[in-house]
Formats: sequence, structure tokens, C-alpha cells
Amino acid sequence: MTTAPERTDLLKELGLDVQNHATLGRVLGTGKIGRASEGSDGRMQATIRINEDELMWDPSILVMPHGGDIDLELVNDDKNTHCALLPSNGDRKFIWLVNHSRGRATLNLDGPGYYWYSSPTGNDEGRGLTGAIVVLGDAPPEARLDRPDQPQP
Amino acid sequence: MTTSEDYVDAGEAIDQGNLSGKMPGGEIAPPVTAAVTYERILNARNEPHNWLTYYGAYDGQRYSPLDQINTENVKRLVPAWVFQAGTTGLIAGASTYSFEAAPIVVDGIMFLTGWDGWIWALDAKTGVEIWRYKHAVPFDVSLCCGNVNRGCAVAQGKVFFVTANARLIALDATNGKMVWAKTYGDVRAGESATVAPLIVKNMVIVGSSGGEFGVRGHLDAFDLESGEHQWRCYMVPKPGEPGSETWPADGEAWARGGANCWVTSTFDPETNLLYVGTGNPAPDFDGEVREGDNLYTDSIVAVDADSGQIRWHHQCTPHDLWDYDSIAENILFEKDGRKLLGHFDKNGYFYVVDRTDGELVSVTPFVDRITWGAVTRDGRVTAKLYPEKEGEPVHFYPGPAGAKEWTHASYSPKTEFFYVPVQDTGATATRRRREFKESIPYWGAGVQVDAEDMAGSISAFDGNGEEKWRWRNELPMCASTLATGGDLVFAGEATGEFNALDARSGELLWQFQCGSGHHSNPTTYTVEGRQYIAVPVGWGGWAEGFLPGMLGAGHGSALFVFALPEPA
Repeated sequence: MTTAPERTDLLKELGLDVQNHATLGRVLGTGKIGRASEGSDGRMQATIRINEDELMWDPSILVMPHGGDIDLELVNDDKNTHCALLPSNGDRKFIWLVNHSRGRATLNLDGPGYYWYSSPTGNDEGRGLTGAIVVLGDAPPEARLDRPDQPQP
Repeated sequence: MTTSEDYVDAGEAIDQGNLSGKMPGGEIAPPVTAAVTYERILNARNEPHNWLTYYGAYDGQRYSPLDQINTENVKRLVPAWVFQAGTTGLIAGASTYSFEAAPIVVDGIMFLTGWDGWIWALDAKTGVEIWRYKHAVPFDVSLCCGNVNRGCAVAQGKVFFVTANARLIALDATNGKMVWAKTYGDVRAGESATVAPLIVKNMVIVGSSGGEFGVRGHLDAFDLESGEHQWRCYMVPKPGEPGSETWPADGEAWARGGANCWVTSTFDPETNLLYVGTGNPAPDFDGEVREGDNLYTDSIVAVDADSGQIRWHHQCTPHDLWDYDSIAENILFEKDGRKLLGHFDKNGYFYVVDRTDGELVSVTPFVDRITWGAVTRDGRVTAKLYPEKEGEPVHFYPGPAGAKEWTHASYSPKTEFFYVPVQDTGATATRRRREFKESIPYWGAGVQVDAEDMAGSISAFDGNGEEKWRWRNELPMCASTLATGGDLVFAGEATGEFNALDARSGELLWQFQCGSGHHSNPTTYTVEGRQYIAVPVGWGGWAEGFLPGMLGAGHGSALFVFALPEPA
């Protein structure tokens, strides 16, 4: 059994928190969690980085407080070229991120749920550059079922 | 230390579709849907060069009078073009995606939906992509039965489709840009959407998916111009409403009762009724928590198109314990001057009903093995084998995918035959009661569908329920049929073969291996006088439920379009 506080230590002990120790790349889901900030108009903002030699998105789980528009700053601090393919209504957004570059993306997500994002070049996705954008919130009241509150997990 | 000045400016992320090799300016379709009105859809049979609505016409016949391709020349049919949809990166329900759409064609432009929020406009003559729209679908969306979508609708300059996270979306049909979007289901309750919308008058009609998650099924209408909600028709009555006496008086079984409308309705302008098939009750296999007939689950329901009120119903499987949705199409036809509808139900029986008042005309079995129970010709139902005792396995035919799944039969007014894709497969269900929790699958049993000892066929029936011919197959047939004025029936196989049968004899006249299994709706149209047959090919969906022996087959994601060779 592993408890949550032990998780970081165990990942390090097993070599699952870096490239080419236990695994060849970086195991998915071992990255950081971050929150998007929200302006007074409800528009959201966040920065996502690729840190040097980490081969993971930082944050690899980005949480939006609700559905809507979000402005992202994307920074590649790695010494290799990557890219980003991001979910958005209408079409997915794509940007090349050569080493030491920074760019921008505007997304629209109508949540709730989580949406993947990645770097679809080489096998960046398999080696660690896959992340999630989590949108909080509920369906609008008019779309919900006419029934009493139901037990939830 | 790196400073901001050191960074290369990567600019602004662009739409991925801009990197698809299209020529600038080539992303605009001619305004072919601008003049598509209710009246044109009503008279769709008068413009056979187009496939204007999901079934081809409101009657659900999936019949085209086009006869350029016929029994004499079909052996010369060849691919005209192929559209490869493909996928990039992760998608929701990657293991279960399937290409199930019915291509819509208006004056040389094709509108086609895929899985995971995709829709495309294509040149129907060449297959060249004109525009694409991709809705962002949550990776964790509840998908009872696969990452699928069955098609779109067009009218008055727009194209309408639903997404797996229960959105109804209206796009500008010339450029694929969103005009409006409405949420009509609650993904936190396990609701989703897969249905092809239906345009009736000034409304877009859609239904919900999610019966396996214990939701309350509903049909909704939206104004096609503004997106304003017009009405909602719940298919499980609340306490006090007509039909509520068929649910337990105590508790909240009705609130979790299922009866989703996840397949497109048919419509009769003379009766002003939508004919809607409803899904299974929830939980699927544990009847003790929902004593009673459980209306309007497993029913043919007639709904007034203007008010959304239920006018009449016929329940095919009262108190269903086998997962026998009645979502199948209701094909409108006339016989001896009587206005009827034909319905091939998952429970293995072919129902003919008077569509003016719901009176049952006949019931006939259309598959060889039926062991769950019996339905007499006057509609009386006797259950025989069902999961009754906790932990005790019970085997029955047909399995929960039914003797025919959601895929559609067709009807030719020339031959007056129905052509039904038949699945002859059993299953074992073992009751395992569980407490209901919102958004968690709510089955009430462990179910294993047979992976051996199965069969399939395309079977032809007349309006009396008499079988006229049968084209046998070793595996179940899991794709919709298409009937044409060339006296042909097109039928895809799970193993990839696309077949043309003689509509009068069932003789196999032509076959093409498409490289992936068929689980979709072929349609036909003409451009510049040349007839095309279009069929989406991409095996997948709820394969564990209807053909687990093919769970390992490749998925595929191509639209094949066939035609006769052009003259030299």
C-alpha cells in the first residue's frame, strides 16, 4: 500500500519521476497540478511550461474553474523542440515550440470533464508530454434531468 | 538564467485544420443548404439525387429510387474515391470508436459526422475536404456503448449535429463555423448524445443517450434558427403522470428508469406524429427494483410534433429483463390502403402497427432462436428465461444486442419487402444487484455475450411478416441496409465485405472488401448524373455486446464511395 504523501518518495525511489531511469521516458500522470486564474470578466489564464530535461508539462493537470475561454502562455525551456496540440471547440489548436520559445493559445472548452493535450511529434506523447485540462462545473440547470437529487459516488 | 528576451516568439497557436494541405479559399462550400426547407425534406423523394435527411426521407425507408446502378451492372461497381478520416492523438473512448454515420448529400456537397466531435463537409464528387469542425469532447465522458455518432441534419443554411457531451450544435454549412450550441444533457448524470438530429418544420429534434447509467430518457426540440428550446418529452412518467402506475409507487425507480431515445425518429406529416423508439429500462437486468411494466421503456411512442405530447404507445417488451431497447427505426408504409409502420425489435419480433392510433396489426419472429420469452400475434408477452436469482447465470437468445441492433432495416416500395440485418447471438446474464449512484453504470447483472455459435443474415419480409428470402452469413449482420430502385440491397459485413444483393431473390451480385467492419448507414446520391453509393467503414462501438468474437478487429475510419466506371 502507498499513501499519498509517500507517492513522491516512491516515484523517486523507483526512478519513475525522471527520464531513462526505470522507464525510457517519463511516466504519464507524474507531473504537477495547477489552477488557471480568472479575470473579472470570467476569462481564464494560465502558463504551461516544458522544463529542461523533465519531459512533462508543468502543470500536467491544469484545472479551469468553469467552462469558457482560456488564454495560455506556452513556454518551452527544454533544449529540444516540441509542440502542442490543444483541445478547443471548433478545431484543435496547434503550435510549434522550438527550444527556448514561448507562444500563445486561446482555447474554448464547454466542460465539465477533462481534456487531453500533448506534443504530437516523435513520440513525445508516449515519453511524457501528455497532460490534462480539467474543467469544473455542472451542466446548466435547463439541461439537467427533472428528477430528485440522486446519490453520488 | 534565461531571460524573456532569449525566447523565440512561437506566435499564436492555429487551427490544426490549417495544416491539412488545403488551398486558401478552398474551405468554403457553396450555400447548398440555404434553400433546404421543411417542404423540401417533406418531398425528399422528389429529389433522389440528394440524401436530405437521416433515413433519406421522413418515412424511414432508407430507399432511393435511383436505378443507374442495378442488378445488371452492379458487378462493375468500383471505388470512386475514399475519405480517410484518421485520428491524431488521444480521443475519448479510443478503444470503442466506430464510424456509424449516414452521409447527407445536398447538390454535390456531403456532410459527414465521425466520432469524438468530428464533422466534415466534402465534395461529394471528389471526396476533397472542404471544411472540418471538431468539438472538444471530454476524455472522461460517459460512453455506455462507444464513441460514436450517427449523423447530421441540414436546413436553412445550417448543419446540425450532437456531441458525446450532450451538445446540439448548429454550424454555418458553408464554412463550418458555429452559429449556436445548446447543452441538452447532463454529463455528470451519465447523459450523452449519439443521435442524428431530425428537422421537422422549424425544429431540430434530438434524443438523449445514457440508459445504462440510470438516467431519465427524453426527446427535445429546438428552434433551428435561434436554438431556443421548444419542448422536452420525458419517456419515463413522473409520479401522477399517465403511465406512472407502471412503476413502483414508492422510491425513485422512475427517476432512473432509462427509456432513452438515441436513434432518429420517423415522421408522418398527415398525423403530425413523430414515431420514436425508446431504450431499455434501468437497471437493465434487475427487475425487482422496478416492478411493473415500466412505461415507456422498450416502446414505440407516437409524439405530437408541435407539442411534444405522447399520443399513443405500444410497448414491445414490458418489464424488460434482457436489455431489449425498442430504439429501432419505425418504417412507415401503406398496405391495403392502411397507414402502417414496421418495426424490427431487439427482442426478435417484427411488429406492424397502425400508425394513426397504435393498434397492433401483427407480430412475427424474424430470427431463428428466441428463448427469452414469447410474443403471440396479438402482442401478449410471456417471459420464460431471465436473470431472476442473485448470482445464478441464465442463458437466453437473442442476447442484449438484440436480433437486430440499432442499425436499420430498409423497405423498397417497388418490391414491398423489408430488408433486415439479423443478429442470431445469445448471452448469459447473472444478476448482481448494486445500489444506484449517479454517473455509475447501472446494469444489475454481469453479462457475457456468446463469442461462438452465432449466425446472421439479411432477411426479406413482406408487410404480413412472411419471410421471402434469406441471405445467410456466418457472423451477425451489424450494419444498416440500403434499398434502391435498381432492385439492389446493399449490406456491409462485420468482416469488411460490402455486398450488393438482388432485392427480389437475395442473390449476392457484388462484393468489395473494405478492410474494416461495417457498422454504419450507407446512402446513395448522384452528382452530374453519376450515381454514387457511400458507406462509412470503421469497426467498433459496443462490439462486446453484439460481436465479442471480433473485439480484436482493426477499427478503420474511412468513407468508401462507389460508382460505375466512367465511359472511356
